Formats: sequence, structure tokens, C-alpha cells
Amino acid sequence: MRAIVTGAARGLGAAIAERLARDGADVVLLDVSADVTATADRLAAGVAGAGGGRGQVAVGQAADVSDEIASAAAVDRAVDAIGGVDVLVNNAGIGGPDTDVTGTSLAEFRWVLDVNLTGTFLMCRAAATVMIGQGSGGAIVNMGSVFGQQGVAGGAGYCASKAGVALLTHSLALELAPYGIRANTIAPGNMATEMHWDELRSRAARSGTTFDEQVEMVKASVPLGRHGTGGDIAGVVAWLVSPDAGYVTGQTIGVNGGIWLG
Amino acid sequence: MPGRMAGRRALVTGGAGAIGLACARRLLAEGAEVVLLDRNADALSAAAGLGAAPVACDIRDPGAVAAAVTRAAGLLDGPADVLVNSAGVYRIAPLLDLTPDEWDDVLAVNLRGTFLAGRAMAAALIAAGRPGAIVNISSTAGLVADAAEPSAHYNASKAGVLALTRQMAAEWAPHGIRANAVCPGVIDTPMLRMMDDPAAGAAYLRTGVPQGRLGSAEEVAAAVVFLASDDASYLTGATVPVDGGVTAI
Repeated sequence: MRAIVTGAARGLGAAIAERLARDGADVVLLDVSADVTATADRLAAGVAGAGGGRGQVAVGQAADVSDEIASAAAVDRAVDAIGGVDVLVNNAGIGGPDTDVTGTSLAEFRWVLDVNLTGTFLMCRAAATVMIGQGSGGAIVNMGSVFGQQGVAGGAGYCASKAGVALLTHSLALELAPYGIRANTIAPGNMATEMHWDELRSRAARSGTTFDEQVEMVKASVPLGRHGTGGDIAGVVAWLVSPDAGYVTGQTIGVNGGIWLG
Repeated sequence: MPGRMAGRRALVTGGAGAIGLACARRLLAEGAEVVLLDRNADALSAAAGLGAAPVACDIRDPGAVAAAVTRAAGLLDGPADVLVNSAGVYRIAPLLDLTPDEWDDVLAVNLRGTFLAGRAMAAALIAAGRPGAIVNISSTAGLVADAAEPSAHYNASKAGVLALTRQMAAEWAPHGIRANAVCPGVIDTPMLRMMDDPAAGAAYLRTGVPQGRLGSAEEVAAAVVFLASDDASYLTGATVPVDGGVTAI
């Protein structure tokens, strides 16, 4: 399996790349941050150290997925590095501004849509073109959010971008089914990531509470009583890109500890 | 993934049916111990050839379900921590011809049976202070209507299973019990009626199923065992269609 994972320098993306590598995939890690090279190097050393070896590859590339030229070039370089692409995981995303619609600038609104939605579109377009040309099927997993299924005051741009990702993915699933390429959305809930901690710091500042109080409030709202981890998401990605999910396409899989029982 | 379910104790209702049997095979292959429940004792003895223990049980009967869950705990040397509710019946009848007895019969197996088995399993697990996972077999018929193959009682029972699953998830999460539902689409099993008219069935596969083919019981079982496994550790109350994209249209 040859996989591209975006937003892979840290957090969920790094955990996803690690799981796919552990399951035997060659992986290209993309991120807008140059830190991704170090993440890939650590992963490559870990896979080799775990007795993987087998000539397995994990390489990092810095690229901005929201840039049309850069994202296409990144897919080209990934194909050169690992010989093709069977799996694309679009995990790159930003939280966007924590502001009401009436206080959000056009530039801020466009930025979150550019990264989360347009970036996903650009990567899907480039990678699906390669997959169709290969003629051997494939799987795409795009990161939506529980906040693409329900609204949040102060998060309109983020919610709109993630809802957009879901229907982009499901339309893509219908277009790509004849080529044996499946496309699904994962909708994480509250994850233990820097993006989520940033949001809680912002909420704490706005509401005159502490960060720890915000963390506890979120945990209390989750039926399973905890934040999700990179491992929680990586297990679902591993299933969705495997033949075990061979009849699953065009779906949103909620991975949220029961916070969204809809 | 060999070993993913090692040490797990699984109970599969409707264990003699195509999907139940596929789930049992997959659970066994991944290292779980398995007890099959079914009301059809002959089918169960055939299933026992797999290496799973059979227990005859009418899933509609609260006393029989309680006794079967206790018997299974004895066979498994502990309370089941995986429950797959795949006991189900399918009937076709337009609403104007559907009798109240037919309605009750379908609801009794598909919805009441899922409730009874889930309650008995969870009670034993909670009493033992152990975590676990429930996977209920619903259907895409619980998500969308179908005028060509009218079965309001079946569809309502499967939509009911989704609501029941969410409630199990909400009430039992504090006990570490996850509950999720799989919605199979057109799956190649003896229960499938769509291909009775091969030309019409083939036409539907072309126009109504993005992947253009029937699914297999094994593909449903792969989703079920994923949901029961630790790979799905943060999923609860989820609805997972396994339908070749039918519900994406």
C-alpha cells in the first residue's frame, strides 16, 4: 500500500501515518510545516526499529495543500518517492477564528475554507487522477468533524468547511466508484490535539474560566468521558483504507465518544 | 488481523444465519471465543463445526434470552464482552395489506430481540465491572424507504434498532460499553429478495448501487468485528452503512 497523509507533522496526521506504516504501507507525510521531515525520519527509524524493514519508506514533504500548484507538485513528488498512490488521507486542517459571523473578516473566513475544503479538493483531484490512471482502485479518507454535523457559535467557518468536506467526499465517492476507488469521511469529536487545546484556551479567555475547567467541561460532555486520541482515529483510518471496508463508500463515520448520537 | 480479538468472549445472535455465521467465523479467526444463539437448533449444530458453541434460544422470549446469556457465560468462562445482534427476519407486504400480527412478528424478533439480548448482556457485564462492545445489525432499510419492495414493519424495526443503539451507547458509556450499528445494504445472502427477478435486480445494481455489485456477508462481518475491536475505541452510538454507496446517493 502506498499512502499520502496530509497534516502529518504532528497530532492526528502523525498518528495516522504511523499506523499505516505499522500496517505495512509506504507513506509520504505532507505538512505545511517543515517539521514534517523530522516526523517522517522518526517514523522511518521506528518502523525499521520495530523489525519492519522490508525496504519500507516514510518520507516527509513540506507543502501547502491549499495552493493549487504546490499540492499538485506534492502529489507528483509523492508518486516519485513511493511509486504511486493507493491511499490518500486528507487530514490537514485549521481551526479558524473563534469569532461570531458578525465579527469575522472575509480574509479569515476564506482562509479556513481554503485550507480545510479547497485543500481537500485539490489533493483529491490530484491523487484521484493518479489512482484512475493506475487502474488498481484506491481509497480516500477525508477528515470532517462532528462540527461539520452540528453548528457551533463562534465556529461558523470551521463548521461550514467540515460540512463541505463531507459532501465533497460523498460526491467523489459516486464519481470514483466505477474505478474501484472508495471515499469516506471521518468525523472526529473532541480530540486531544494542539488545535483543540488552542480552542479551549480561547474559550477560557472569553468566558473567564481556566483552561483546566474547559478541559473538564468537554470531558463531562462526552459519554465515553475522555478526549479522543490519534490512535482512536488511526484505527478507523486503517479499517477504511483496507479491504475490510471494501463495500463502504460515501459515508461519514463519527468517531466522537458518543457526543453526536445522530 | 489475527489476534485482534484474542481474549474476547463473543455472543452472536442469529448465529445460524448468513451474516451471523460470517461474524462468528471472523471473530474466531481473530482469536475470540464465540457462542452462537439461534432458534433453529439444526442450523446451530451445523454452525458448531466452526468451533463455536451453540445455544438454542428464541430471541423474543425474555426468560429464554436470560437463560441463554447465563449459559453462554458458563461456556465462555465469563460474561460475553462482545454481542453481535444479528437475529432478524425479513418480510414483504404493502402497508394496506400488512396485518397487525405480521407487524408484531417482525418487530418481536428484530427490535424486541435486540433489546432483550442487549439488556441481558450489558447487565451481566456491568455486574462484573467489565467493558465491552455491542454491534447491532440494522439495515439501509432503516435509513431510506423503498416503494418497490414494501416492508414497513421491517424498515420500522431496523430504524428502531438505530434509536435503540444510540440509547444503549448513551446509557452504558459510563460502564465502558460501546454500542454501534451496521446498516448492510444489498448483501448476497438467502434473505435477499432483490435478485429474485434477475433482470430487475441487475438493473438496480447498475443504477442504485454506486459500486455496482452486491456486498458479501464477509464484508458485513469485517465491519462488525472492526466495531467490536479496540480499533473502534472512540466510536459509540454510530451508524455505519456497509452498502456500496447506496445511501450516499
